[in-house]
Amino acid sequence: MIPEIGYFSLTLAMVLSVLLCIFPLWGAHTGNLRLMRAAPSLAIGQFAFVLISFAALIYASLTDDFTVSYVAYHSSSTLPWYYKITSTWGGHEGAILLWLVMQAGWTAVVAARSKSLPWVLRARVLGVLGFLGVGFMMYTLLLSSPFERLLPYFPVEGRDLNPLLQDPGMIIHPPLLYMGYVGLSVAFSFAIAALLTGKLDNTWAKWSRPWTMTAWGFLSLGITIGSWWAYSELGWGGWWFWDPVENASLMPWLVATALLHSLSVTEKRGVFKSWTVLLAIAAFSLSLLGTFIVRSGIIVSVHAFATDPDRGLFILAFLGIVVGGGLALYAMRVSQVKSEGRYKFVSREVALWLNNIFLVVATLIVLLGTLLPMIHKEMGLGSISIGEPFFDKMFAILIVPFAILMGIGPFLRWKQNKWAFLQNKILMSILLSVVITCAWLFSSYDLVKPLTLLATTLGVYIAVSTLVDIYTKATIHGSLSEGLKRLGVSYWAMVLGHVGMAFVIAGVTLTSAYSVERDVSMKQGEVVKLNQYAYRFEGVKTIRGMNYSGHAGVVSVLQNNELVTQLHAEKRRYDIGMQFMTEAAIDAGFTRDLYLALGEQLSEGAWSLRIYHKPFVRWIWIGGVLIALAGFMILFDKRYRRSAKTSQEAL
Amino acid sequence: MNRKYLAVAPLLVFACVCVFLYLGLFANPREIQTGRLGQQMPEFSLPDLMQDNKQWTDASLKGDVYLLNVWGTWCPTCLAELGYLTKLREQGVKIIGLYYVQGYDADFDGAFDIQALRDEVNDMLQRAGNPYQSNILDLHRTLSLDLGVSGAPETFLVDKNGTILLHHTGDINPRVWRAKFAPKIQELK
Repeated sequence: MIPEIGYFSLTLAMVLSVLLCIFPLWGAHTGNLRLMRAAPSLAIGQFAFVLISFAALIYASLTDDFTVSYVAYHSSSTLPWYYKITSTWGGHEGAILLWLVMQAGWTAVVAARSKSLPWVLRARVLGVLGFLGVGFMMYTLLLSSPFERLLPYFPVEGRDLNPLLQDPGMIIHPPLLYMGYVGLSVAFSFAIAALLTGKLDNTWAKWSRPWTMTAWGFLSLGITIGSWWAYSELGWGGWWFWDPVENASLMPWLVATALLHSLSVTEKRGVFKSWTVLLAIAAFSLSLLGTFIVRSGIIVSVHAFATDPDRGLFILAFLGIVVGGGLALYAMRVSQVKSEGRYKFVSREVALWLNNIFLVVATLIVLLGTLLPMIHKEMGLGSISIGEPFFDKMFAILIVPFAILMGIGPFLRWKQNKWAFLQNKILMSILLSVVITCAWLFSSYDLVKPLTLLATTLGVYIAVSTLVDIYTKATIHGSLSEGLKRLGVSYWAMVLGHVGMAFVIAGVTLTSAYSVERDVSMKQGEVVKLNQYAYRFEGVKTIRGMNYSGHAGVVSVLQNNELVTQLHAEKRRYDIGMQFMTEAAIDAGFTRDLYLALGEQLSEGAWSLRIYHKPFVRWIWIGGVLIALAGFMILFDKRYRRSAKTSQEAL
Repeated sequence: MNRKYLAVAPLLVFACVCVFLYLGLFANPREIQTGRLGQQMPEFSLPDLMQDNKQWTDASLKGDVYLLNVWGTWCPTCLAELGYLTKLREQGVKIIGLYYVQGYDADFDGAFDIQALRDEVNDMLQRAGNPYQSNILDLHRTLSLDLGVSGAPETFLVDKNGTILLHHTGDINPRVWRAKFAPKIQELK
C-alpha cells in the first residue's frame, strides 16, 4: 500500500509541476498576474508530494518490504538501519528519486526566498524549474520507478546494498553532489528567465549569485567527500581516478567556478553579460550531461549503473530539449546585449576573464578526455583509452599560469591599475613563498625534485599572496584589527576559497611526490620499517559485523619504540552478496596518513599486507572543505539577506 | 554580424556532441573486443551444476551451435534476461549456462555447499523460466577468467567446431538478439 502511495504521490507532484511549468510562463508571457501568483504555492505543493513519495520508499526500505523490487535489490534485512535509509539512493531508481527531492526542494526554496523579485522574473524562474521537474518526474514515472513490485513471487531476503556503498561517506556524498547539480539548475533558470525577459542587467547577476554560490558549495563538498570515500573505501589509497563519473562531477564544478567569478564581474561592473549567461547554461548542461553519461552506460566506468538504452534515450532527448532550447534562446537574444563598462588590460576584469578562460579550457580537456574514446570509436578509428597520464599532464600544465593568476588577481582593482602599485606586492609574495617553501621542503626531505618544488611553491604562493592582500586591504585606513572587521563577507569567501585551493595544490603535490608504499608478507611478530615508522604485525583476528564476517589484520605502529597507534585493516565478506571488501585502516594526521590494507593469507600463517605512508594527503580534503565553506559563506552576506527581508516587510 | 555567428556557435557544438551521444547510445561501447573472438573455446574440464559425477569439457560441447551464458543467482540483470532466454530456448536455441560462483573463497568457507546452491538455482529458474539445457559450475572461475568474462551476464555464441563467434556483455533482449545474434546464426544455417 505505502509504495503505491509513493507512486501516486509522485504522479500528483508531476501534475503540479506541469502546472508550475505552464501557468507562470504563460502568465509572464501575457502579463496575467493571477497565473504568475500561482507559482510559489505550486512549487511548494510539488515539493510536499515528492517528499511523501521519498518517505514512502524509505519506509519500504526500513520495513524490509522485499515485494518492492528496488528494496529487494538494494537492501536486506540484516543491513543496519542507517544503511537501509541510504540504500534508497544506492541504486539508479532511488538515486533519481533523490534527485527529484532535491529538484523540488530547490524549487520550493526559490519560491519562498524570491519574494523581492519582480513577478515576471520570479514566475519565469519558477516556470523553468517546473519544466525541469516535469522532465525528471516523467522519467521516473515512466522508465525508472522505484516502487515497482515483485508480485506475486517476491524474495524473502533482499540482495543487500553493494558493500562499497556501506560507508559513512556514501551516506552524504550523493545527496551533496545532487544538491550541487540540481542547485545549478537554479542558476540555469535565472539565466533562461533573464533571456526570456530580455533584461540581462546586473540585477539578474545579483539575484543569481547567492544561488550559484550555494550550489557550488554543495558541489565542492560533494566532490571532496567522494574523493575521501574513494580513498578510504577502495583500498588502494588513491583519491582521484579521472573516472568518467568523477569527471562528470568535475566538469560542472569547473564551469560553476568560472560562473561565480564571472557573475561577480557582471554584478559589479555590468560587463561579460552574455558570457555569464552562457556559463550559467553550460554549468547545468554539464550536470545533465554528467547524468546522461553515468546513467546511460554510454561510457564504461567503474561506477556505471545498470544500463538501459530507453533510459539513455530519454535523458538524451531531455538533454537536447533543455540545453538545445537554452542555447537556441541564447543565440536569439544575446546579440542584443551590450556591455556597459570599460576597462584597461591591467584590471580585475581581465584577470577574471583569464580565470574563466583557464577554467573553460580545463573543462574542455575533461570533456574531450571523457568523450573522445567514444567519438573515436564511433568514427571507426578503433578503441583508445584516455587515462590518468593525459589528465595529469594537462592539469599540471594548466595549473601553473592559473595559480600565478590566482595570486595576482585579488591585488587588482576594477577598471585599471598602475603596475608600480602591484609590483611590490607581487614580488614580495613570490619571494616570501620561495623562501618558505625551500625552508620547508629542504629541511624535511633529502631529495626535492624541481617540479615538486615549483608546484609546492605555487600552493604556498597563493596562500602568501592572499595573506599579503588581507594585510594591505585591512591596513589602508588605520589599524589592522579595525580593518579586518571592515572586510566584507564576499571578500572572506574569496580568501577561504583561495586558501583552500592552496591546500589542495600543496596536498596533491606532496602526496604524489613523497608517498611511499610497500607490499609485504608478514608473520606474527615481524617488523617492517617504512620512513620513520616501524610496523609490527600482531596477527589476524576474526571479526563479525551485522551483515558480514571477516578477518582483521592488527598492526602496531611504532616510532622510536613507542606505540603510535594500532591499525586494524579488515577484509570483510558480506553474507548475502558474498562479495569481498577491503576495509583499509587509516591513521589520519595533519601532516601524514598511515594507510594499511590487508591482502590474502599466504602459506604458513603469513599474510600479505600493503602499507602506505602518505604525507599531506589530508590537505586535499581540508582544502576541499575550505572551498565549500567559501560557497556557503554567501548565506551570511547581509547584502543578499537584506534584499529578501525588505521585501518581506513590504508584503 | 560577427557576434551573431558567435552566438550560434555553442548551439552548433552542442548539436554535434548530441549526434555522437546518440550514436554512442546504440553502438554499445560496452562491447569488449575480446581476444577470444574467432578462436577456439579454451580447454576446460568442469563439473555439472546439477548432477554429481558429470564432467563437461570443451570437446564434449562440440557438434552443436550454442550460446554459453555466464550467469548467477546473485546477478539481477541475469534474472531479468531469463524470461527472454527461455523464449529463445523454446524457439530451439541451445543455451548452456556457465554458473559463475561469486565470492567463494577457501579461506573463509571451507567446503562448498553445493546443495544450497542447487536449491537456490532451482528456485530461481522455476520462478523466472529455465532457458538452460545444462549448467556448468565454474566454482573457481577459471573458465570465466580464460574467456575474459568481466561480469555477469555475458553471452558467447559458439559454433559446431567450438569457435567463439560473438561475445556479448550485458543482457540479451529482443533488440540485441535481432541486431547481433540472429544474423550470425542465420549465416551458420
